[in-house]
Amino acid sequence: MHTVRPDAFQTVLAGEMSMEFKEVIGRRRSIRFFEPEKPVEREKIQTILEAARLASCAVNAHWAKAIVIERDKLSDEQLEQMKTPVAALNIELAPVHIYWYADLSVVNRMKGSRLKELVDVGALAPTHGWSHKFVDEFVYPQILKPMTESPAYAVAASTDVGVAICQALLTAFDEGLGACLSSFNVGIAKELFHVPDEWIPLYVLLVGYPAESWQAGGQRPRPPWDEQYFEGEHGKPFERDEAVVETLKQAKMIQTPATPNNPARIEEIKRLAERLGLPL
Amino acid sequence: MANLLPLTDYATVQTWLDGLRQHWGGDPERDDPERLDILEAFCRFAEKDPDTIIEECVLMRDGEKRIRVKGRRRYADLIVQFQSQVEGSRIKRAKWGNTVRSFLIHNGILLQAGMQA
Repeated sequence: MHTVRPDAFQTVLAGEMSMEFKEVIGRRRSIRFFEPEKPVEREKIQTILEAARLASCAVNAHWAKAIVIERDKLSDEQLEQMKTPVAALNIELAPVHIYWYADLSVVNRMKGSRLKELVDVGALAPTHGWSHKFVDEFVYPQILKPMTESPAYAVAASTDVGVAICQALLTAFDEGLGACLSSFNVGIAKELFHVPDEWIPLYVLLVGYPAESWQAGGQRPRPPWDEQYFEGEHGKPFERDEAVVETLKQAKMIQTPATPNNPARIEEIKRLAERLGLPL
Repeated sequence: MANLLPLTDYATVQTWLDGLRQHWGGDPERDDPERLDILEAFCRFAEKDPDTIIEECVLMRDGEKRIRVKGRRRYADLIVQFQSQVEGSRIKRAKWGNTVRSFLIHNGILLQAGMQA
């Protein structure tokens, strides 16, 4: 996503679009029409996973786990079983599925060892009070281990995995792919993919080349800014500077919003429905 | 079934046509004159009128309307059967099946039958 490439190379590199970070955010849409027969290059899937691996992670625990499934390696019966009522078509159309989980066993397996790695490499330093002894005698036994017994533990771990999933999602778009997060049939997935009991299911990231235009009707509607972000206290909206908004439009992060009954989008969906044999 | 009223007399057919008009614009009866004929053929195939089809796909629980899983699945399967017995090209069969699916969808019954083309 973030690129250090010189400007001259930013538009077209090896025949592919390359985007700045803000434009990647701006271009992301939940893509629901994939090219069903266009395979996704393995290196692009690896790149998506590499991005997830580098995500920020509390206590360096790395709860995030993913199982990559090539749709065409599932039997027809297995694919049918994997479908949920709401996501059945997305699951059928997307050539690659990345099933995301939070591995709740990781903290008690690592017992703080990954935190000590951070101490060793100077990411956590004595300047901030960190030492191996602090981790061994206080952080793991008094904070991390009790945390794993708290009802809030799964929420915390899932939030953390969400950060990794977000990086994976944005990277898919940076690679010129489309993607969509979706719920999935967790019981069937557990059985088919031999998912360990300690892993809790989160989302499936459906990945493929978009069959719809990248605009896909425009940026999706969002709630009013003032209802979302506050300053100092709840109820006092963070003041939105229109000059910043304008700058972000120039950077293609804020793009043309989707509007109801957009004739171009209606025509696009009709064409896709005809091509793929879908109901209107 | 002999006692089928003109389809536009059924509330669920009006809901369907209104939904099509609101979502896609135009005049759904004129834009695709086969639409109502296809639905009528399905009603005769299923031996149910349109309102009954929708009624059998929903239930009321705790004062809330819910999709009846068994009803929805039954009609999803019936549409597949209906579509498969249509004579003609695969595209024609897909159109007939998807027209009936559209009727259910615009009446709030989620159906995702996948690619028919």
